[in-house]
Amino acid sequence: MSTELLTTSLSILLHGLVATLLLSAASIVGGTLIGLLAAVLRSFGPWGSARVAKLYTELFRGTPVLITLMFIYFGVSYFGYAIDVFAAGVVGLSVYQGAYIAEVFRSGIEAVPEGQWEVSQILGLGKTQTFFSVVLPQTGKIVLPPLIGQYLSLIKDTSIVSMIGLSELMHGGQAIVDRVGKPVEIYGLVAVLYFVVCFPLSQWVRHHDRRSLLS
Amino acid sequence: MSYQWLTLWGYVPEFFQAAWLTLQITLLAFCVAQILGLLTALAGASHLAPLRVVARSYIELIRNTPVLLQIFIVFFGLPSLGLNLSAYTAGVIALGVNVGAYMAEVFRAGIQSVPRGQIEAAGILGLGRAQIFIEVVLPQAARAVYPAIVNNLIQLLLGTSLLSAIALPELTGTATVINARTLLYIQTFSITLIAYLVLSNCLSWIAEQIGARVFQPPLMLKQHTRKRLLLIPRQANRN
Repeated sequence: MSTELLTTSLSILLHGLVATLLLSAASIVGGTLIGLLAAVLRSFGPWGSARVAKLYTELFRGTPVLITLMFIYFGVSYFGYAIDVFAAGVVGLSVYQGAYIAEVFRSGIEAVPEGQWEVSQILGLGKTQTFFSVVLPQTGKIVLPPLIGQYLSLIKDTSIVSMIGLSELMHGGQAIVDRVGKPVEIYGLVAVLYFVVCFPLSQWVRHHDRRSLLS
Repeated sequence: MSYQWLTLWGYVPEFFQAAWLTLQITLLAFCVAQILGLLTALAGASHLAPLRVVARSYIELIRNTPVLLQIFIVFFGLPSLGLNLSAYTAGVIALGVNVGAYMAEVFRAGIQSVPRGQIEAAGILGLGRAQIFIEVVLPQAARAVYPAIVNNLIQLLLGTSLLSAIALPELTGTATVINARTLLYIQTFSITLIAYLVLSNCLSWIAEQIGARVFQPPLMLKQHTRKRLLLIPRQANRN
């Protein structure tokens, strides 16, 4: 690969990487909020909402993210509105990963012993107060490693948004290969960029979370 | 509205064919992944440093890059190195190699979950190395690891949807083609969504039945995954 090709490719790919990181960040925020809401509803919500939250997690854990993305991207235009690819990507990834994140939060909530709820009640704390000041702080510690692991798979999933046409890192790589060929070199370069982002996270997870592998 | 669904009625055989192809690739890639995963886990625990380095690099390389990129490297990259693969073979290889790395980690954790003391005790009782592995470690490791294996199988099934990017007519690929032909977005993707739900739930139901029958005491998958953080005891990881 010539130096000129390398530098032009790198500048295209780095632009793509910025889009990938933006998409990841937005989806991580969205997915965490949705996941936390679904987990809380499923554990403490009134009967109807717990059912809906369960249906939501089961639905998205049983279907591919690509279908979710296509549903949102094409579905919105079907009803006569236009949606930006980036927005479709953020919504799709948030909703999809939210289902997995909800399960992470739920297992964390359930890991707090039942007895603590009873003790808090005896001490005169309300349900909401118990949740926010007793359960949630402990949950945070338990769920952080699997949560970061989920973020990691979210970052990798952003590559799938290239299939509905968002120009992020993966799409940048495809565009270069379409123009000049050299798939091994270009996709290798793309792999290096993904690796640089993901490796520190996965090492952190590996170091802090020896238990989640069997989950 | 109803005539639109009628239009899609003609595509039902294509959907069934696509679902069959999806299932085929899932099961084939799953076999590849099991073999690769077991070999890698064994290599990772080997005395030979080079084997350990190879196993570790394979796991890290695969786990830190997106699967779509791996599919592209196998399908578009290997031909430029003189190895031409059909979309079907490339799909099986790429997904198998991908899930194999995850399986290796699962197997490693499973083997580690068996307390060291048991292995030492079995050694003192006069069992050979192979016998200890097959009769003491493997049954317990398999039970500990089973839910994670099923989880990976379902992820693999959902991952086959990415093979539509290399024009393989599996469920998602077929859906995009039918979508382009009929422009019935909502209907086409609803059918596809339901097809995936049925497939993934059938697979996990079958796995649950197997788990309840093969293991002693019976392994209840739903219950197990529900309380997974509680169920995996701390003692198991202390060694």
